[in-house]
Amino acid sequence: MDKGMSILVVDDFPTMRRIVRSLLKELGFTNVEEAEDGQEALGKLKGGDFEFVVSDWNMPNLDGLEMLKQIRADDAMKALPVLMVTAEAKKENIVAAAQAGANGYIVKPFTAATLEEKLNKIFEKLGK
Amino acid sequence: MSGEARQVAAHEGAHGDDLVVRIGQLTRMLRDSMRELGLDKEVEKAAEAIPDARARLNYVASMTEQAADRALNAVDRAQPLQTEIETRAESLDKQWQTWFENPMELDQARQLVNDTRGYLAAVPEMARDTSKELLEIMMAQDFQDLTGQVIKKMMAVILEVENQLLQVLLESVPDGEERDAMKRRMESAGSATRQEAGLVNGPQINAEGEDIVSNQDQVDSLLDELGF
Repeated sequence: MDKGMSILVVDDFPTMRRIVRSLLKELGFTNVEEAEDGQEALGKLKGGDFEFVVSDWNMPNLDGLEMLKQIRADDAMKALPVLMVTAEAKKENIVAAAQAGANGYIVKPFTAATLEEKLNKIFEKLGK
Repeated sequence: MSGEARQVAAHEGAHGDDLVVRIGQLTRMLRDSMRELGLDKEVEKAAEAIPDARARLNYVASMTEQAADRALNAVDRAQPLQTEIETRAESLDKQWQTWFENPMELDQARQLVNDTRGYLAAVPEMARDTSKELLEIMMAQDFQDLTGQVIKKMMAVILEVENQLLQVLLESVPDGEERDAMKRRMESAGSATRQEAGLVNGPQINAEGEDIVSNQDQVDSLLDELGF
């Protein structure tokens, strides 16, 4: 896995963006950008060369699930791996995210070890 | 009826009984008209929101307490490590200084070299342990996101309760300045959009519901079951 890959962290709470960014840094990923909702994220994704997305679900303007659906519907972005990190903990949430094409699902509150494990699993599956 | 009121009522005789009957009629009328206007439902809805709001506040209180405990415990574990790094370095430095000022036998120097090497070997582990505690302090801050989501929901609930109570008041206030002011307040409260329930619920304040997963293992096994 290329630790220099560019990652977009999407969450409406600045504290959570900071935590995820710091955890990624701890794991060796330093090329991280942030967006505060799905709409801003889509703009950044279309304009940039992102290789990975870590996204919250419950956000204003455009939520994480809707953003995921739009990513999967866009030919240029549909292969982009997306890891959901969210407090939404109903079974129907997890099913909906999986069906929409999420590559992983982490429920908050989560640990650094969980994030690392899911990242590894996703890249393993993608063969990177 | 209080003793005094009963006395007055007795004194006034038939007139007092009339009054009681009249109040009873008024009360019934008020209740009937509230029901006709659907206001009793509004009040009921407002009252129903309260237990949920209490549960949410409890969740916020316990999450913030947990976070504070986590951070303080990590500090308690990290501080002795830092103290040890500091005091051992100071002690070795002092011994070396003494030795350089007055170089003595090789044996003494050899012991000092060994102690110094032992210290150097121990520092990375203590530093790593300290970093681990710093990470723990950082992770403890995740409460802000979780309680923030719950507080935002609470604000929506409070707005809703305010709206319902204003609605009830509005119906019982005669036309005039006061009524107009209330109407304006309601309109501004109503213009704030409410989030639709459904897939966006925020943190589960009670993780014991049937369709709720309470930890990452349950998420993973659900995804496995589904073949993802």
